[in-house]
Amino acid sequence: MAWKKPVAKAIACGMEI
Amino acid sequence: MSADPIPSLPRGTRLHHDSVRGAMVLLAPEKALILDEIGAAILSAVDGSARLSTIVARLAARYDAPLAEVAGDCAEFLRGLAADRVIDLHD
Repeated sequence: MAWKKPVAKAIACGMEI
Repeated sequence: MSADPIPSLPRGTRLHHDSVRGAMVLLAPEKALILDEIGAAILSAVDGSARLSTIVARLAARYDAPLAEVAGDCAEFLRGLAADRVIDLHD
């Protein structure tokens, strides 16, 4: 795989909901 | 903040492979972040002792990518996570 901009995406968790 | 910090995972935060999503997830108290392959590669290289420049050099070699591009992307990625308090950056 080639280098690309890294991504971290938040997943909704119980507390946040 | 140092230009070449040592990133580390705070206590209570860890990398986890989510078999349902088929992806690495950064689990923190009350928060979870799903990572793409590059994000997972960066955080897998975070061991609490390696400086950012060392991590960048390893990844640039592994992905055969320009050092400046990898350095910029890694710094931006880790500073974003530090702002979310899911990673620590030590001088």
